[in-house]
Amino acid sequence: MEKKVYFDIKWVVILAIVGFLLIFQVFPLLYLVYRSFFSSGSFSLEGLKRIYSYPLNWLCLKNTIITAGLAMIFGVILAFPLAWLVGRTNLYGKKFFRTLFVTTYMVPPYVGAMAWLRLLNPSVGTLNVFIQNLFHLESTPFNIYSVGGLVWVLTTFYYPYAFITISRAMEKMDPSLEEASRISGASPLKTVFTVTLPLMFPSIVAAALLVFVAAASCYGIPSIIGAPGQIYTVTTRIVDYVYIGSQEGLTDATNLAVFLMAIALIILYISNFVVGKKEYITVSGKSTRPNIVDLGKWRIPITLLVCCFALIVVIIPFFSVVTTSFTVNMGKSLFAPGNLTTKYWHTITSRKSILGSAKNSLISAVWAASLGMVVCLIMAYLLKRTTVRGKQIPDFLITVGSGTPSVVIALALIMTMSGKFGINIYNTMMIMVVAYMIKYMLMGMRTVVSAFSQVSPSLEEAAQISGAGWLRRLKDVLFPLIVPSIVAGWFLIFMPCFYELTMSNLLYSTDTKTLGVELFTYQTYHSQQTASALATAILVVVIVLNVVMDKLTKGKFSI
Amino acid sequence: MSVITIRGVSKAFGKVVVLKEFTDEFQDGEFITFLGPSGCGKTTMLRMIAGFEKPTSGEILIDGKPVSAPGVFVPPEKREIGMVFQSYAVWPHMNVFDNVAYPLKIKKMPKAEIQKKVTAILEVVHLSQYADRMPSQLSGGQQQRVALGRALVAEPKLLLLDEPLSNLDAKLRESMRYEIKEIQRKLGITVVYVTHDQVEAMTMSDRVFIINRGVIQQMGSPIDIYRHPANQFVADFVGKVNFVKGTSANGKIHLKGVDQWLDYDGPLSGDVVVAIRPENMKLTEAEGHLKGTLSSMFYLGDVNDCQVSFGDVTLRVTAESHTYDKLTQGSEVGVVISDFLVYEDDGTDDYSKILT
Amino acid sequence: MKKKLLAATLCAAMTAMTACSGGSSGTSTTAAATTAAATQAAAAETEAAAAEEASGTINPEDVTGKVMIYTSMYEDIIEAMDEKLEEVFPNADIEFFYGGTGTLQSKVAAELDAGKLGCDMLMVAEPAYSLELKEAGVLFPHEFAETDKLLFEYDEEGYWYPVRVCNMVLAYNPEKVSKDSIPNTLEGFATDTSLKGKISMSNPLTSGTAYASIVALLDAYGEDYFASLGQQEVAIESGSVALTKLETGECSEIMILEESVLKKREEEGSLLEVIYPTDGTITIPSTIMIVNDDYNSNANTAACEAIEDWFLSSEGQKYIVSGWMHSVRSDYPDAPYDAIPTKEILENVMPVDWEKCFHEREDIRTMFQENVTVPQ
Repeated sequence: MEKKVYFDIKWVVILAIVGFLLIFQVFPLLYLVYRSFFSSGSFSLEGLKRIYSYPLNWLCLKNTIITAGLAMIFGVILAFPLAWLVGRTNLYGKKFFRTLFVTTYMVPPYVGAMAWLRLLNPSVGTLNVFIQNLFHLESTPFNIYSVGGLVWVLTTFYYPYAFITISRAMEKMDPSLEEASRISGASPLKTVFTVTLPLMFPSIVAAALLVFVAAASCYGIPSIIGAPGQIYTVTTRIVDYVYIGSQEGLTDATNLAVFLMAIALIILYISNFVVGKKEYITVSGKSTRPNIVDLGKWRIPITLLVCCFALIVVIIPFFSVVTTSFTVNMGKSLFAPGNLTTKYWHTITSRKSILGSAKNSLISAVWAASLGMVVCLIMAYLLKRTTVRGKQIPDFLITVGSGTPSVVIALALIMTMSGKFGINIYNTMMIMVVAYMIKYMLMGMRTVVSAFSQVSPSLEEAAQISGAGWLRRLKDVLFPLIVPSIVAGWFLIFMPCFYELTMSNLLYSTDTKTLGVELFTYQTYHSQQTASALATAILVVVIVLNVVMDKLTKGKFSI
Repeated sequence: MSVITIRGVSKAFGKVVVLKEFTDEFQDGEFITFLGPSGCGKTTMLRMIAGFEKPTSGEILIDGKPVSAPGVFVPPEKREIGMVFQSYAVWPHMNVFDNVAYPLKIKKMPKAEIQKKVTAILEVVHLSQYADRMPSQLSGGQQQRVALGRALVAEPKLLLLDEPLSNLDAKLRESMRYEIKEIQRKLGITVVYVTHDQVEAMTMSDRVFIINRGVIQQMGSPIDIYRHPANQFVADFVGKVNFVKGTSANGKIHLKGVDQWLDYDGPLSGDVVVAIRPENMKLTEAEGHLKGTLSSMFYLGDVNDCQVSFGDVTLRVTAESHTYDKLTQGSEVGVVISDFLVYEDDGTDDYSKILT
Repeated sequence: MKKKLLAATLCAAMTAMTACSGGSSGTSTTAAATTAAATQAAAAETEAAAAEEASGTINPEDVTGKVMIYTSMYEDIIEAMDEKLEEVFPNADIEFFYGGTGTLQSKVAAELDAGKLGCDMLMVAEPAYSLELKEAGVLFPHEFAETDKLLFEYDEEGYWYPVRVCNMVLAYNPEKVSKDSIPNTLEGFATDTSLKGKISMSNPLTSGTAYASIVALLDAYGEDYFASLGQQEVAIESGSVALTKLETGECSEIMILEESVLKKREEEGSLLEVIYPTDGTITIPSTIMIVNDDYNSNANTAACEAIEDWFLSSEGQKYIVSGWMHSVRSDYPDAPYDAIPTKEILENVMPVDWEKCFHEREDIRTMFQENVTVPQ
């Protein structure tokens, strides 16, 4: 019998990526876990016992689950109708709203949280006082330093994750499925609940997962909003332990971080279990025309409602950030004599390191996003298009990485990647790129996975039977079909890396200083204003970039 | 123009066996159809030939060369096969021309030649004037023809079709049937066709494989299968059939529920199932083989579709259309049976119900 | 004239010290003598210049190689210092890595786990941390000649010296409240119930100065102090957030580092004011340390010693003071912008027990959390 072995590049690539994940992600995190069990040289659960016997820590776990859980629920509840309205109806100004809703994603959480703090603090919050005067209330109506306040800020920050994921999937759905429901006599609303929603279920679960993991592993928001109200979360506790700066502090932090990893695991398991066989393939080889639901007499009222939402959730806090950057004394009106200034803008534009930092940020974020998307694409392919045992493990690892607090990732990398184990990328840009990837790849992964599950495998098989090899198939068929998702995923990784603060601050070296480090500097430098100016500048650059991209590609690629 | 040899091929997904051992050889230029209900394993067989699935055991050879065998696996892209998918799998981001030209581009054919071949094949599938259209601007039938054109353009030695007509309307389906058969004849290629539609199988195939639950029930020419179904499943799946349980003894079969006798000179005795096709019965006002009550009539133009009841049992009879005027509903009628089949009643499969 | 005198003193002192550390057995007598001589020389400018030129063999120009310094000092100060250091040590390549105290401490902890630090010198945190690093065997002993000029505790073996002084004080916004209506003592800060929900302080878990402060407060007032702090619903947050809250009026009084308020006053013309607590300012010196060859990254301790001496000299202290911190030297005349003289502060301080800080850290932190952090 003639034996001919066909060299399959597919497995080479997949193995290479898996190897990359093993070395740069699994090993460092595993090392941390190892340390937490072997802190005294031999296996011991003492460290774990100590951490988990402390009642405050349990309270933190509870707070994390409650706040992240509620943020997830509200995030999806907000994101789904918005995605539907923007993607599938004749809402006025759809494009504008779409850009607006993802804009929150471009603001560093720290800066945004400060904006909310100024707006809704119980004693002198601008918005609070405004509403109090408007309705002649005895006291201010809102208290940002509460579980509710924390959930609110987390929700306004992380619903864009759900919005982006769901609206991508929404665009891909076969409209005839909805039409079938309409023809069966269901109203548009009824159709949404009986057809659209169930069909979108896998994407909604993916979106919810993203929001939960992001909210649960977020540090900036709970440290600013939660801590003053004595609402501590696992991340704030972990960072407390880490910043103790001693070896046992590090071990304690790891022990707590293990909990977040466990949550990530459970969530992923549940989502896989719930979604299970419900993965409907909604994009087939049959091409259909997208349809638009006519809102009819509701068009104007609904548009107004969406305007209100945008005003409250996006515009007011942004406006607050922008005005802050021009205000000398935060206790006075911007227009009080001598209170309007551009000196904070001078600071950020004249500082000699800022351009270099911006360049470093750009380079490292581009690398992280690009490499991250390569990993995500290949691992999503492994997950969705192969039948290998354990194909879901990389997906899980990527989720765990995102669920791990930034500071823990950074420390794990320092401990393992500075030569002790033969790899030394410490003090290079590479270590930051790796850190960014570990932390933010999940965003890309979820986007690509849900895009994959919406492209019928037969499209690829058709190319295969036409004689196209694996790489060719990816290039000719799969990638062009999911390009919007790839771009979205790339952006979802790029953006948080661009202004990443916690990890950069531990990992940067003199040559690789980033914008996040600058931002951190201003933050600790007692200058809200400079940080606001820098955040506004980042925001403006990104929006301009988005508009340019939109114009250049005639609307094909925008965020 | 190729011979496909299948030796002891089986397929299991985990513990679930979807296709039991299968051995055959498809001849050059043959039109082979896998016919069976959904989930019977016919698509799996097709996908194994294409190379999308690896057989759990056995080997597949194309023109004598093993493509799937222990230690050997030729990936689909190296098998030079044309395939049409049930969902068409027309790439929505390429226009008709690019879709069809794709296999040639992969072969790095010169542009001029691609142009020539694609134009020719678009002619064959009647899509010449749609070359620049995007798939979303095409109807289902047109998309289907794009898929067919793409499968044929590289002049494959073997064409695989996976329920290609199932998404089309009846008229279109009929004309596509002839077109596919015509193209096959013209190009002389070997075709493996998967369908659950017996009419498609009957009209196009040289040989039909009836598959159920992963087991080949019968293989043969369409006529053979229709006239001599090997078992109740085949009889039922191909064409229409009435099943009546009975007991065979002394050259007669006692039909249960009907409580009448039929003459029988076959070898079976004891509990049996009698299968009578509706078109093998005639209605008469005179004495027939059986006597029953005409419970309903539907005038279909070419035939008169009747139901005749005998106590607990109702038989479907396709009578000549003129009988609609002669007979009245509710009257007693005689049934003349020209042909029937008898199967052993092993009690396992309940095919005694009338399926239409 | 004054400045020139200082400069001369410094140069002379430094050259002397470089010589000492370079030699096998430097003694404080020689150093003192040289300093005295230099001071005399400084009286006549020309002579001073001559002295500078004469000491060519032990010139700062001979300090070469790379030195990496981890510091939690503000970047602006570092930038100014960096320029000066380039001038003083033209042949050395001195780099700073800036980070918050907590960040740097955790970075160092992780680097220690990997076996090597990324720096050669540390200018971070308070003496308790120095005690910890000394015990861990990370530090290099350096003999500083002018220890008699140091106002604060230093390591007898030379493993660490105070280099800058931070003061934990109270602050308020005179545009919102009057100084008379709020407590002027740290004790009152925790007990005056009219401030309930309107006060803020830094997190002792993440900030070394905040931790040192609670140790001082614990010694002064006992655990009850923290029980009442908890009842006051004090917000635990970073200094920048607290200052903004003071501006907006969300907070009436905050416990904060003096330097943060001074910086805001000088740079932004802010009207926020410092209250030096009448029950004592908590004075927290921050240290300078050299990493020994087992752990440092550039094996350049000779250069480190010269740099350490420069920082401890009056010239180096100038940059500390312009960064709104107080000098550690008794002979440095100026206080930071808008601050009261260092001597005045030192007349009324609340002492910090550094050994206690180091050894009872876990217990004290737990005590704080149980009283203040955990919701009542």
